[in-house]
Amino acid sequence: MSSHAMTPSRQPAITLHLVPLADLEARLGEALQQGSRLGLLTARQISDRPDFALMTLLLHPAEGGMALWETPLESHAQTFPSLTSRSPQAHWFERAIYDFFGIRPEGHPRFKSVILHEAWPEGFHPLRDAYASAPNDGDAPRRYKFLTVQGEGVYEIPVGPIHAGIIEPGHFRFSCLGEVIQNLEIRLGYQHRGVERQLCEIPWKRARFLAEAASSDTTAGNAWAHAMAMEQILGITPSPTAQTLRALALEIERVASHLGDLGGICNDIGFAAGAATFGCLRGRALGMGERLTGSRFQTAYILPGGVVRNLQPERRDDLLRETEALETAFAQAAPLLMENPGALERMEGTGKVRPSLARDFGLVGPAGRASGAAYDVREAFRQVPYASLTWQVASAEEGDVLARVRIRVQETHASLGLIANLATSLSEEEEVKVTVPTALPPDRVGVGVVEAWRGELIHLVFTDAAGHISRYTIKDPSFNNWTGLAIAARGELVADFPLCNKSFGLSYSGNDL
Amino acid sequence: MLQTLFQLVKTKSATQRELFPDLPVYSRGLPGVTGSPCQADQGCRLCTDACPTEAIEIVPEPNGGRVSLDLGRCIACGGCTAACPTGTLVEDRRTRVAVHRREDLILTNWPVAPPPAPAPLLPGLRRSIHIREVSTGDNASDLEVSAANNPIFDSSRFGIHFVASPRFADALLVTGPVARAMQEPLRRCYDAMAEPRLIIAAGASAISGTPHRGGYAQADGVDAIVPVAAYIPGHPPHPWYILHGILLAMGHPSVR
Repeated sequence: MSSHAMTPSRQPAITLHLVPLADLEARLGEALQQGSRLGLLTARQISDRPDFALMTLLLHPAEGGMALWETPLESHAQTFPSLTSRSPQAHWFERAIYDFFGIRPEGHPRFKSVILHEAWPEGFHPLRDAYASAPNDGDAPRRYKFLTVQGEGVYEIPVGPIHAGIIEPGHFRFSCLGEVIQNLEIRLGYQHRGVERQLCEIPWKRARFLAEAASSDTTAGNAWAHAMAMEQILGITPSPTAQTLRALALEIERVASHLGDLGGICNDIGFAAGAATFGCLRGRALGMGERLTGSRFQTAYILPGGVVRNLQPERRDDLLRETEALETAFAQAAPLLMENPGALERMEGTGKVRPSLARDFGLVGPAGRASGAAYDVREAFRQVPYASLTWQVASAEEGDVLARVRIRVQETHASLGLIANLATSLSEEEEVKVTVPTALPPDRVGVGVVEAWRGELIHLVFTDAAGHISRYTIKDPSFNNWTGLAIAARGELVADFPLCNKSFGLSYSGNDL
Repeated sequence: MLQTLFQLVKTKSATQRELFPDLPVYSRGLPGVTGSPCQADQGCRLCTDACPTEAIEIVPEPNGGRVSLDLGRCIACGGCTAACPTGTLVEDRRTRVAVHRREDLILTNWPVAPPPAPAPLLPGLRRSIHIREVSTGDNASDLEVSAANNPIFDSSRFGIHFVASPRFADALLVTGPVARAMQEPLRRCYDAMAEPRLIIAAGASAISGTPHRGGYAQADGVDAIVPVAAYIPGHPPHPWYILHGILLAMGHPSVR
């Protein structure tokens, strides 16, 4: 159960393969058919002229490998043939390519903007011209058309962007017949802060603070993915102790977030005692993160090269005691929800996502695992220190709210076990921060993949010939899973939507960046 | 049902009795500025070099230097306090950190006239306030606002209630940097409120947009859009900071 002192990092340097545009659709389709995942599909500028290439990051969970494809487009290309009809996982990625690069996926079955809509001028594509100034308010705004469901008695309920609870903004357009949702269209983008371009504009040593704020409730996950990508570019390897400390932060974040979501589920069922109980437990988990890092949200702790500091022995004992106490308290609290007939009645069979659809759309994290996909980055890629740990990857087939909740309960237990193991195995002597060069090497690529609490989180970073970050892209797990929520809501009662929504527990800002 | 009741009785009250306790010793807290002489005269720039958000300014002077630290831009990364060799910048774990005026978030190592005694911003509120939260891109801050609502911090004991609509809210509590696509919704939300009304900015991102400020998305903070009556520093702000800011805006007796 200990991380071995000399275990090398298993994150291999990733190489670019050229895949011509004519072959892309078939090769992607085949790869996905054979069990690979579309980690990312985006674009980047490959010369000073407006020459762009599509970038496809393929992940092979079964073998624990990955591949990065570069597909150059014609000079000044305005379009590319859409891959979505053959590979539905591409659907939001392609819409985002249009928003940010102005390159249109020709033949996309439901083409419209996904992040930049009416608040942004038509023709403003912030990553197309890296030095394009701010949007010009004089230009006509983008237009956006919601899908209209037609038929007698169909009516629409528009909700948001500002919601009734203490939650992020986004717009939900329900088309209903009676109390039943016929279609849910989710329009996000309200939180778009320009994170990806800004990560190329600021000094790279400061990038970690922005990267971890991409979705600030996933600070440890984002910071680790950032560090992983930058370390590949820099060609450095953090010490095993630093990796153990990072895993501790990640697992504490998972426990705190799952507990928060369980409280949220109780809240949406109207079960105040459960909400209060899990809310308090969440506070204890945040306290564990504060002991490790000095911050409840573990900010500014993980950095390229390692972590800021080791855990002092007395603090480690304190953390172990807290872990044990939280495990005991959680074992008593979980049945309040999981054995409560009223709560079970609300959760069972609600908001189903069939495994085949979860696979088609590439759902990740607890939501994917609740619909039959036993994919967990930690296990699939055998990352340090997880390669030397054992735990049960929770999964289920039902794909309903109850399954998603049950997975969180199991993962909370599992992560508390991992925290105890990791903290026990910590070495006090070893360095936790290796020396990091001042300048980035030119023409490199780095990819960080982390199983954040919501699932697969990816940071993909390129440097240009001058050693500057030329493209930085982030794929939050929510970017895959929002579609799962739209599927789950279909055919459900409007009144069950908040519960469905909470059972996915998605990030708006991570999606919008 | 019985199981739930049994559990609740066993748990007893979880609420922290002490108001505005200092953060635990293992917390970084926010940076604070002391009177300890700075070495800027000897060319020391360790704090400004460490600061990722340009929150610190130092001006060398004979036998020291003038240091000012803007908590409205500070993301509490701990870089400056770890770097400072003279003890001029130190970790500050106090929790009464909210202020009425933006300039009061700027800490200095030279004396500045203390801010005038806070007057209640909405006379008559004092014992109860209804708040609409508007989130604009910093979900950790939202979670800390939710935590201020939980049994540990128990905002309702102060008469603080979070409500579902701006129509029956006295105050908007805004988190996040209010980038372009949330500017119009925020303005409309504010317009939908009955007067008198006030705005509270929670967290460094809401105050100044950090770490997002300066980009094409115009994520530069709340007061670029609507007037702010209380500023709560932190990244994200601790629930006690948030309660302090709300009580300050109310003119609540516990923050007099």
